[in-house]
Amino acid sequence: MNANTEDRDGLRAFAETARHAIAACQKLTLRERAARLAADGLLGILAAEEAGGLGLDAGFAVPAMEAAGAGLLGFPLLETLLLAAALGQDPSANTIVFGEKIATIAWSGTADHTGGVLHGTVGRAPLAREADLVLVATANGAALVALDGPGVTVTHAIGLDIDAPECEITLDGAAPVATIGPEALAHLREEALVLWAAAIQGSADACLALAVEHTGTREQFGRQLVTFQVLRHALARQKLAVEHIRATLTRYAALAAAGAPEARLARHTAFAVATRFGAAAVESALQLHGGMGFTWDLPLHRHLRRIRAWEAQGDNVGLHRGLASDLLRANA
Amino acid sequence: MSTETNTLPPGLEGEAYRAHVRSWLATNVPAGFLADRPGHRTPGLEDCRAWEAAMHRGGLAGITWPVEYGGHGLSLREHLIANQEIGRLALPESVNSLGKELAGPIILAIGTEEQKQRYLRPLLEMREIWCQGFSEPNAGSDLAGLRTRAVRDGAIWRVTGRKIWTSGSPNARRCLLLARTGPLEDRHKGLALFAMSMDLPGVSVHPIRQLDGKDSFAEVLMDNVEIPAEDALGSPDEGWGSAVRVLSIERATNRMYRAWRFENELAHLVQACRADATLNRALESGLWHRRLAETVVDIELIKAHVEPVVEALVQGEAIGDRGSLMKLHWSEAHQRFAALALELLEQAPPGAAPEVAAARQRFNDIYMRGRAETIYAGTTEIQLGIIGDRILKLPRGR
Repeated sequence: MNANTEDRDGLRAFAETARHAIAACQKLTLRERAARLAADGLLGILAAEEAGGLGLDAGFAVPAMEAAGAGLLGFPLLETLLLAAALGQDPSANTIVFGEKIATIAWSGTADHTGGVLHGTVGRAPLAREADLVLVATANGAALVALDGPGVTVTHAIGLDIDAPECEITLDGAAPVATIGPEALAHLREEALVLWAAAIQGSADACLALAVEHTGTREQFGRQLVTFQVLRHALARQKLAVEHIRATLTRYAALAAAGAPEARLARHTAFAVATRFGAAAVESALQLHGGMGFTWDLPLHRHLRRIRAWEAQGDNVGLHRGLASDLLRANA
Repeated sequence: MSTETNTLPPGLEGEAYRAHVRSWLATNVPAGFLADRPGHRTPGLEDCRAWEAAMHRGGLAGITWPVEYGGHGLSLREHLIANQEIGRLALPESVNSLGKELAGPIILAIGTEEQKQRYLRPLLEMREIWCQGFSEPNAGSDLAGLRTRAVRDGAIWRVTGRKIWTSGSPNARRCLLLARTGPLEDRHKGLALFAMSMDLPGVSVHPIRQLDGKDSFAEVLMDNVEIPAEDALGSPDEGWGSAVRVLSIERATNRMYRAWRFENELAHLVQACRADATLNRALESGLWHRRLAETVVDIELIKAHVEPVVEALVQGEAIGDRGSLMKLHWSEAHQRFAALALELLEQAPPGAAPEVAAARQRFNDIYMRGRAETIYAGTTEIQLGIIGDRILKLPRGR
């Protein structure tokens, strides 16, 4: 199934806007990035119109996430998009959509929420040290917490991503500023899988372009590297990886638009394919750069770091466990 | 199509067609045909021939071909639907796939009206099984090195040469033959296609035993064979170029049931393990879960490559070489799965349930036959070359 022409034009326009805004973000501080992305309408793609958003479905955020992946955007865009939508008409949604507050999500761990306050340690929250708000899972949904409020300690976590470093947050009696229900949290986590897959596609495609460029210009043994078949085949496998991710995202979009029950499996497939083939493609692109690929200055390691961080944030291991148990249950 | 044999109700499309296919299969699959059911026995050639002829009468073969040549005149969407439903059942592979998926589409694209009338209906009705005469001892992946010669001599072409690894040829009545009409230096030019009758004097077939123990491979020798000029397909110089264009679409649309058959195989593997206490414990242990889950993902990924291609073609878009992506992924994923199935089933203790024995038989075959999947229809290395050269358009160097 194909998006109709109007949708396609809309998606193209989003992609174009996102590419420009994300390129401009490179020289800005995190606060300035929030303002710039908000000004271009990129933070409210999924948020309700009442909250200043566009109220569109996840498919429209795919081009923006691709651009964010390709452009190594150091901003919690995925978290912002999903949170602004999950908060519905809560006043905090508005401040996030307009870039006044920066919000992130702690992707691992669950806090105890009793007596109106939160306790416990949660982790894998990108950029929480600089953000204003964080969403924390609880036993019955999730709570939004002000990061500068009492009872909140943010520490740098051991993680790979250097563009959106992960943090741990210890809560000791912090009071939530808003809450969302378990269905809203589950929905958010499901939608996140699609957006991560899109970001990984952007990353993998960008790394492939670097590898094509490098092997096409560098000469060894008196020949351009790209003329060696073994390297052409490695590049072909990287392209195959990018097309795998694109195909699964396209199929998901079609099934979701049709309201088909297979959409859930298609969504999980998109994430599983993106993490498996995307990470392999970036590793291969890095390999083709030889010694240069092992340097800090080349952006390849940053892409690889992010993909591995997203893989963990999306709980790729748990997702596969779920796929296996669905298979075993269906053939009990 | 002669109306007395066509049992496809007229005017069916989309989900109505799917309902027809489902109920037709539920009623018509012969006893013992399904490899994942008790009482399975591998059907012989004549059983397969009768079955495939019945599938054609029921509207499950020649789906998109024009009615005037024995087809059903439906769209690729119905072709996909039939493949999904056929794939869900553990049916035997077609014994005339080269006719239906290679020769037929090429004849439809470049054949004369008279050739379409002559070849297409017998093929669908399983009266003529086809083989493919492309590979030669010195021209496997590189068909530019093809040496079988065809020389025009009045109303005939005189053909001499040797074809090898020719699938299906011991049973074939016709061969889609690629032969050289120009000098060897012309490489890809001067190659012509023929619909050669296997009954012509000078044609001899020498079966080659395949690694799975079957004799469906052969060497075909042609010694001064006189092929009537009306059996040449397309113009002598353009045969190959036209065929390549057809093949890029075929690579994306043929055997479209693969994702759904793969799904059937995976379900069969799990169900067979359920029938044995040791294997069931292994399944529950978690050791195999990641690979099983990755197999689920691999299957969904095949679907993601197949379904959009159908929509693109239905809407008249060019699909270029996208078929290579699907073929490459499917062949490698299927081999990975076959290895997983072997390793898992090897855990079965002696004296395991008959379901386990049947599954071992099926997956041993799938594993061994699967070696061919990364070789035929363009090897993995050829597909990687296509992706690099034609999709990525990598520079060839100075």
